[in-house]
Amino acid sequence: MIVIFAIDALEYNLVEQFNCTYLKQNYYGKTNISEFSEPRTMVLWGSFMTGKNLEAEILAKGDKEMWNTRIDRNRTFFSRFTHPSVIDLPGYNYDLREHERERELLKQYFDVGTPVEKELVKKEYNARAFEFHQKIKNEFITALGQNHDLILGYFSIADVIGHLNFSNSTLMRMIYRDLDEIAGAIPVPYIVLSDHGMEPLGAFGDHSRYGFWSSSEQDLGNPKITDFFEIMVSKNNSQGLQGDHS
Amino acid sequence: MEDIPLKLVITGHVDHGKSTLIGRLLFDTGSIPEDKIAEIRQICSALGKEFEFGYILDNLEEERDQGITIDTTQIFFTSKKRPYVIIDAPGHVEFIKNMITGASQADAAVIIIDAEEGVREQTKRHAFILGMLGIRKVIVLINKMDRVGYDQKRFTSVKKAFMDFLNEIGLDAVHSIPISASNGDNVATKSASISWYNGPTFLEALDSFDVQSTFQKAPIRFVVQDIYNFSRRIIVGKVVSGTIRQNDTVTVLPSGEKTQVRSLEEYLKNPDFAETGKCIGITTADKVFCDRGYVFSDPPDMPAVTRQFKANIFWMDTIPGKKGLPIIFRCSTQEIYSKITAIHTVINSSSLELMGLDMDEIKNREVAQVTITTENPVIIEPYTKTPELGRFVLVRDNVSAGGIITEVLL
Repeated sequence: MIVIFAIDALEYNLVEQFNCTYLKQNYYGKTNISEFSEPRTMVLWGSFMTGKNLEAEILAKGDKEMWNTRIDRNRTFFSRFTHPSVIDLPGYNYDLREHERERELLKQYFDVGTPVEKELVKKEYNARAFEFHQKIKNEFITALGQNHDLILGYFSIADVIGHLNFSNSTLMRMIYRDLDEIAGAIPVPYIVLSDHGMEPLGAFGDHSRYGFWSSSEQDLGNPKITDFFEIMVSKNNSQGLQGDHS
Repeated sequence: MEDIPLKLVITGHVDHGKSTLIGRLLFDTGSIPEDKIAEIRQICSALGKEFEFGYILDNLEEERDQGITIDTTQIFFTSKKRPYVIIDAPGHVEFIKNMITGASQADAAVIIIDAEEGVREQTKRHAFILGMLGIRKVIVLINKMDRVGYDQKRFTSVKKAFMDFLNEIGLDAVHSIPISASNGDNVATKSASISWYNGPTFLEALDSFDVQSTFQKAPIRFVVQDIYNFSRRIIVGKVVSGTIRQNDTVTVLPSGEKTQVRSLEEYLKNPDFAETGKCIGITTADKVFCDRGYVFSDPPDMPAVTRQFKANIFWMDTIPGKKGLPIIFRCSTQEIYSKITAIHTVINSSSLELMGLDMDEIKNREVAQVTITTENPVIIEPYTKTPELGRFVLVRDNVSAGGIITEVLL
């Protein structure tokens, strides 16, 4: 079984600062996403799963339609696996309604006028994010107990909460601690990967221009996000060989 | 309410509940704002977790990272009796270095043990290091009693196993207390679940430490910093132990001359006495010979004047310390050439692993038990008796090591 713990906006510096040992594993570092004009979630995960820079293709859909991208399985490395479980990955199978509502609330937060109104919107925004995080966490843990050759769990909590609450370090620390505990519960070797990190923008959080990776088995250096296509294919091949051997 | 804070260090195996204990102490003593507790509870609930007291410590670390309210190595709380400072070092290396160089000295030490898991190797290493650092009295907390059904037999068995070890290394457990840090049993309030235990709670045990009178009742040690010859000869220095008073009879070391304190001198004041920690000028009834580094003391309890002593040192120089090479010994205001004449044991300060016996050199970040010989006599005491005369640094171009004197060799 190959497990990918995909975390939107997992920030390298916070993983270090909060000393998240299960997220760091033996080898960890930053990914190189400098080939992309902006660190956009949909573009980065699309490029990750296909092994190709999909920036032009996805941006051509326009600001709104971009979020509805559904990449065909045959273009992704998931097609190389016989029984994969991919949970909520942007550009592939993520919950369109839920993530659309998050974006609406984020926009609403900046559109409404008074601090009281803003607080109300933020409360709903945070509550939804936490509720959805619980749902994904349960699905991921359930999948870990099933017979899959690939499990990819995508977690958006660090990104969603970070956008409006990045300066609340208690909150961010506890989210990172929770993610670290999830990583600690994965019973087999796994890869942690983020599309980009997050940096402060006033009290808010904005995407940083590098991502995060970690592995218990291999030093990947400063990989491009598109390199993971080949890494996964290669891991699957060696997994198959081990299976043949046994 | 006393005003001198008791400095406390809490050690133990990494999973035996140190963070939870500190969080619980801060919570029970009202040292964390209620709205912060409410916020942490709310986040726990949103993440589907039970509230844990360890999260409070996380939050403190957060504030410390940002340099808002918490000093880099210290956590504060207050009981009804006195303020407390928990010295919190990120690892063994920092803790040993801080303790041995005097950056942060602990007055009391606590060792926490998981009742279910019992004494682990790391527990023993921590106890051993506390002994090396001159701490003789510890409070032992047998934690997570709730997980063993508050069983008295389990408590007694874990306690006995650890007491046997403490006796071997010369440490004295002043209290052994069954607690559950997560439930608050016997931390700040007596536990109804542990009715078979009649001793103090952890907080009561801490409050029973007598810091203030220990300082004031100690014998006089006045360390000379400088001498000013105005219309009168004023000897300026620091009281590092006890209380010095007008008319006290004192002995000047190393000469051994006796005299009387004629007056205490402070700008625009006429004090009758000066307590530990005070820098002050004094005049004497006789014109005794005196210089920087001399120590005034009150007979018969006096420091040693000697050229040789045993010490525990922490090496903090990338160039190793070698046996027999000259190095400057600096203790209080004394400064003199010395040599490390024996390196008895060397321990890795990170892993606490024994590196060897009867060695020829000490490498960076190693702790060693050594014998040091000075070129001329120095005025010293074991660190446990008078920290200022028992703590020193070894200097080449910069400070290479810090140390504490464990035994004076005459």
